[in-house]
Amino acid sequence: MANWQEMMPSTRAYMMNKVLYELHHKPDHLEAYNDDADAYLARFALPQDLADCIKGNDVAQMYLSGVNPYLLRAHCIGVKIPEDVSLAALRSLLNHEGYNNG
Amino acid sequence: MAEITGIYTASHTPVMLNFPDRIPAALREEIFAAYRAMGDDFMAGKPDALIVLSNDHLHNFFLDNFPAFCFGCAESYESPIEHWLHAKRRTFAGDQAFGAYLLQNALQSDFDPAFSMEMVLDHGSLTPLELAGIDPDLPIVPILINCVQPPMPTMRRSYDLGRYLGKAIADYAGVERVAILATGGISHDIATPRMGMVNEEFDQTFLSLMEGDDIDATIRYATDFVHTAGNGCEEIRMWMAAMGAANGAKYHRTYYRAVNDWYTGIGIGRFEV
Repeated sequence: MANWQEMMPSTRAYMMNKVLYELHHKPDHLEAYNDDADAYLARFALPQDLADCIKGNDVAQMYLSGVNPYLLRAHCIGVKIPEDVSLAALRSLLNHEGYNNG
Repeated sequence: MAEITGIYTASHTPVMLNFPDRIPAALREEIFAAYRAMGDDFMAGKPDALIVLSNDHLHNFFLDNFPAFCFGCAESYESPIEHWLHAKRRTFAGDQAFGAYLLQNALQSDFDPAFSMEMVLDHGSLTPLELAGIDPDLPIVPILINCVQPPMPTMRRSYDLGRYLGKAIADYAGVERVAILATGGISHDIATPRMGMVNEEFDQTFLSLMEGDDIDATIRYATDFVHTAGNGCEEIRMWMAAMGAANGAKYHRTYYRAVNDWYTGIGIGRFEV
């Protein structure tokens, strides 16, 4: 068992972390994201696969990408992904080869 | 010189406030009553100031600049910072002079904390204070430990920080009576595949060790087995700090329940200082 996907964040994880952090802490960012997710995400020059999993509310893929789980959790609540949906997505990874279970 | 009136440990989770109905009403009331009982005991000590040992959940700090330890040195603290937290906005009084004293003496004692003169407290501090019914006018000094983003300070270092705090508080002449509240833990996972799978065995062993008299064994267990109990369990660094401040005083749990539908092993207890 392990508590973290990455013991030191990769640059990819840092980039996704930055999006989720700014989205929920900077004034007007959540509104801008909700208005036009593509335009908002384009500000960050993310790799396309990371932008896609944020826009698609792909909780499992965000987790596997090494995003900080606290930022992921806040994002799920903040963009109103239903609690049971986000929980099921995470649980689906229990036997996934990409899950760092130690 | 200041007297420590009480040292308390209590779990926190935003789920208590955001999704209270995910557990049966009777269980919810049992848990909330345990927090109120802690608050009543706490206030019976008539503290003049409160040290809050907690952690920031990536709100005040981000990965561009993330302190291992941060001492609050503000005149007041608004809360909560989370736009999504179902809690009324409050402003807690801060004891700026006390925070500055603890900061300056920490640096003289070979600790190197960051400090903040403006931070907004998140659910980690707010939830237990709110549920315990602590008066927001009671001046606080928040001391935050990184428990949310590896690499993090060790359990031993967190204990040592608490040892420092206990001594520094005892030497402080600015207030007469000080309480300490350490919040976080015990077993829980936040946004991982194990979320909602509380490791009760870890919690029971950990609490039994806390109630024993072998501090080294407790630190060793926390260090060696925290990886089995979830990323949220990393918050037992605050319990280590509380144990350090208690300087060998006996600990006893006042409440424990593994609450899978709140994703958390909820533990409350106090040191007999």
